[in-house]
Amino acid sequence: MTRNDIEIMFGGQAGDGSLTTGDLIASSFKKMGLEVYTYKDFPSRIRGGHTNYVIRAGERTNYGMADFVDGLVAFDLEAVEAHIEELRPGGFVVFDCTSEKVPDAMRRSDVTWYDVPLARIAKEELGLELVRNTISLGVLGKLIGMDPAIVRANVTGVYERKGEKVVDLNLRAIEAGEAYVEKHYAEWPSGYVLEARPDGERLLMMGNDAIAYGSLVGGCRFMAGYPITPATDVLEWMAKYLPAYGGVAVQAEDELAAINMVIGAAFTGVRAMTATSGPGQALMTEAIGLAGVLEIPVVVIECARTGPSTGMPTKTEQSNLNHLIFSGHGEIPRVVLAPGTVEDSFYIAARAFDIAEKYQCPVFVLTEQALCQSKATLPLLDVASVEVDRGKIVTEPVVFGEYQRFALTEDGVSPRVFPGLEGGMHLAPGSEHSPAGVITEKSSNRKAMMEKRLRKLVSMKDDLPRAIVHGDPAAEIAIFGYGSNRGPIAEAVDRLGRAGVPVRFFEFRTLWPFPEEEVAAFVAEAKHIFVVENNFTGQLERLIRYVTGPLERMKLVNKYDGKPFRPIEIIDAVERYALLRGPDASNGAAQAVPLRVKR
Amino acid sequence: MAALLTPKDFATATPSWWCAGCGDYGVLSTLKAALAELGKIPKDVAFVSGIGCSGKISGYLHSYAFHGVHGRALPVATAVKLANRDLTVIAAGGDGDGYAIGAGHFLHAVRRNPNVTYIVMDNQTYGLTKGQSSPTSATGYVTGTSPQGNPDAPINGLAVALAAGGSFLARGFSAHPKKLVDLIKVAIEHDGFSIVEVMSPCVTYNKINTYAWFKENTYYVDEAAGYDPGNRSAAFDTLLAEGKIPLGVLYRDNRPTLESLMHLPADPLTSLDLHGPKKGLAALQNAYR
Repeated sequence: MTRNDIEIMFGGQAGDGSLTTGDLIASSFKKMGLEVYTYKDFPSRIRGGHTNYVIRAGERTNYGMADFVDGLVAFDLEAVEAHIEELRPGGFVVFDCTSEKVPDAMRRSDVTWYDVPLARIAKEELGLELVRNTISLGVLGKLIGMDPAIVRANVTGVYERKGEKVVDLNLRAIEAGEAYVEKHYAEWPSGYVLEARPDGERLLMMGNDAIAYGSLVGGCRFMAGYPITPATDVLEWMAKYLPAYGGVAVQAEDELAAINMVIGAAFTGVRAMTATSGPGQALMTEAIGLAGVLEIPVVVIECARTGPSTGMPTKTEQSNLNHLIFSGHGEIPRVVLAPGTVEDSFYIAARAFDIAEKYQCPVFVLTEQALCQSKATLPLLDVASVEVDRGKIVTEPVVFGEYQRFALTEDGVSPRVFPGLEGGMHLAPGSEHSPAGVITEKSSNRKAMMEKRLRKLVSMKDDLPRAIVHGDPAAEIAIFGYGSNRGPIAEAVDRLGRAGVPVRFFEFRTLWPFPEEEVAAFVAEAKHIFVVENNFTGQLERLIRYVTGPLERMKLVNKYDGKPFRPIEIIDAVERYALLRGPDASNGAAQAVPLRVKR
Repeated sequence: MAALLTPKDFATATPSWWCAGCGDYGVLSTLKAALAELGKIPKDVAFVSGIGCSGKISGYLHSYAFHGVHGRALPVATAVKLANRDLTVIAAGGDGDGYAIGAGHFLHAVRRNPNVTYIVMDNQTYGLTKGQSSPTSATGYVTGTSPQGNPDAPINGLAVALAAGGSFLARGFSAHPKKLVDLIKVAIEHDGFSIVEVMSPCVTYNKINTYAWFKENTYYVDEAAGYDPGNRSAAFDTLLAEGKIPLGVLYRDNRPTLESLMHLPADPLTSLDLHGPKKGLAALQNAYR
C-alpha cells in the first residue's frame, strides 16, 4: 500500500472539462495537507486533440513529476494508448467503458483496471453527459481515499457561481461515482491511500500567477504584452489586478510594440514589464539592445516553450537560454534570472525590478511551460519582506548643462532623471552618445561608454540571486540544473542520498552574468558532473564549459521531446555513468542489474 | 506666471545633420514656435522620434527627447503618455518610419487614440540611405532600388488613419511656416491622437516632389467654401480625390482617449508610492489558499 504519494493523470480530449476536474483534484489534495505539483500537457488547440493533466501529490515540497503515473483516469481509448506505458507497475486505470473497449494487448496485467461506464452513468442517472468528469472524481476519491467532505466543499466552491442547480448536479455526480465503486469494486483496492494532514498556511498557485504577483509587489505598475502561450496568464493577471494599484496593462498589437511600450514607460519613470515566449522574444531583440544602450530598466518574463519557429507551443523546453544571453547586435549588460519553484517565481520576479532599476539594464526572468503553467503548493508569501530599491534616481531639480544622464561613474550606473524634472532635459538616443546624450562617433567616447555600460555586469554581482546547493556539499557526484528541473533533480538527489549515494545539486538562479567562480568551485572536487537540461545542444553545459574547459567527467543529460524530466531519468543517468551500473554503462565493470532507488 | 518662452528656448546646442534646404528645418522651427506659443516648457515635453533623416529631429528640440529604433516611435510615445499624462507628448518620424516599418503601430496608435501628437515628415523618399523609394513615392518613381520604376502604389496615410478611426488629421507644408505653426498648435491641443502630415521636400534625392511642385500641387481646404472638418465622409472624399493635395485640418472629432477608456488615474503613474504599506497586496494571496 502506497501512502500519501501518488501521481494521477487525467486523459481525454481538449475542451471536455478534464482541466477543471484536474484543478479540483489538485485543490482537494492541497486541502488534505499534501504537497502538490501539476503539469498540463495539452494540445495547441481549443477543442479536440488528446490532452492530459498530471497531478502529483506527496509529503515533500517542490518536487515535480513522479517516476511514473500511478493512476490514469482515461476518458477514451486514446488516453490509454498514449499513456499505458507510463504507468507504474502496481498502478491503476479508471477507464470510461461506455462506448470503447480496451483491447487485450493494451491491457497491462501489472496494473489494476477499473472499467466504469462514466458517460452512461452521467446520461442515465444525471441526465447530462458532461458531468462524467465529476463522476470520475467520485470514483477516484473512493479508490484512493480522498476526504469526501473536502471534495464536496471544493466542488461546491468551483460551481457556486453557476447556481444551486449546477452545484447539486455535481454533488450527485460525486455520489454516483462513489456508489459505483462501492457496488462493483469494494473488494478491489487500488493499492494507494491518502491520509489527510493539516493544510496549514499554504497556497496552491500557478507559476505565472506567482510571477505576476511578484511583479506587482515588486513595484511594477505598467505592463504591455501580446498574447502568446504559455505567457498569456501573466498579462491576464496584471490586467485584472494592476488598475486597483494605479497601474496599467496594455495589450499591444505585437511584441515589437509591447517591448517599446515598456521601454517608453520605464524611460518616463514607471517600473515596467512584458511577458512573452520564444517567438515574441525574437521580435523583441532589437529593442532589448535599445534598452541596453539607453540604460533603461525593463523586465522581460520569458515563458519558454519548444522552438524553433512555432515549435510545440504548449510543450516545455529550455532552448531559449542562448537566445536570452547572446541575442542582439552589439553588446549590452543584461541579466538572466531563473526561478526553480513557484514560490521562488514570486521572489525572483519581485527582485528583477530592483536589479533592473539599480543597474539600469534589461533583466530577463526565464521560466518554462513545465513551471510557469504548473501549479504547486507553497508556504504563504512574505509580501512585507519585498523591499523596493529604485537605485540612483534624481528627484530634486538639476542644473541643465551640468547634469549628464549617461555620466561616467565607477560602478557604471548614472543617476537617472524622469521627464518633468527641472533641468534634466536630454536626448536619449539609440545611437552612441556622449555622457550628456549627444550623438557622437568619437572613438575615445565610444570606448569609454562601452566600458561604462559593460562595467555594470561586474558591479551588480553581489546583488544577484545566488545559486542554491542541494544535497551533500561534500558529494563526489555533482549535478547542474535550473528552472523546472529543480523538482526532479532535487527528488533524485534526495532519493540517491537515502540510498547511500551522496549527490549535490547546483541550482542556478542567476544564469547571466554567469556565476563563474561558484561554478568553478562546484566542479573542482567533483568526480562526476551531470548537466540536466531540456534542449538538444546542451546550452547550459556549454556555458559551464566556457568556465571549466573540456571535462571528460562531465555528462550532458538532456531531453527535447517537449516533456519535463521525471526523477528516475536523472537517477538512471547517475547509475549508468557515475555508479557504473545498468545496461548502458560504458565501463566494462558495469553490473547487469541497475540499482533501483526507492522513494 | 513666468513670461512665455520663445522658440529659441526649445533649441539645443547640437548642430543639425540635415542638408541645406531640407524641408525638415521648417518642421523643426514651426514645432518650436508652436510649443512656445502654447506656453509649454521643455521639462514637460517628451519628444519621441524614429529613424531616418526625420528621426534626427529629436536631437534638436530641447526637451526630454527619445530617439529609439526604426518604426517604433508610437508605442514608445503611447507608453510615455500612459505613464505620465501631465507631459505633452509628441512623436515624429518620416514616411518610411511611419508608413513602412512602423505602419502597424501607426494603425494601432490611431485606434487607441492616446493624447499624443504625431508629426509625419513626408519627403516621398528614403533620404538617409540615399534616395530609395518610400511608401509615399509615386508609382513609377525611379530609384536605385526601383530602376524600372517603383511598382507599388503610394500610401495615403491620412485616408488610412481616417478609416482606422483617426480623431484629428491635418496636413501642412514645411514652406508655409505660419500655417504649419497653427496646425501643430491645434494638433497639440486636440485631446486625442493628432496627426500632422507635413510635406517636407528632400532637396537632395527627390527631384520630382520639389518645393515648386508642392506649391503648384497643394491647396488649403479652409480656403474652399464650406469645408467642414467634422464631416467624416466629406473628409474621405477630399482625401481620396484625384488632383491637388489638400492641406489644413481635414478631420477632427471628440472620440474618447485611451487614457479615459483605460480609466487612468488623474495623477501620473510616475507619482505612485511604491514603498507604502503592502497590506492590500498581501491579501491577494488569500485567493490561492
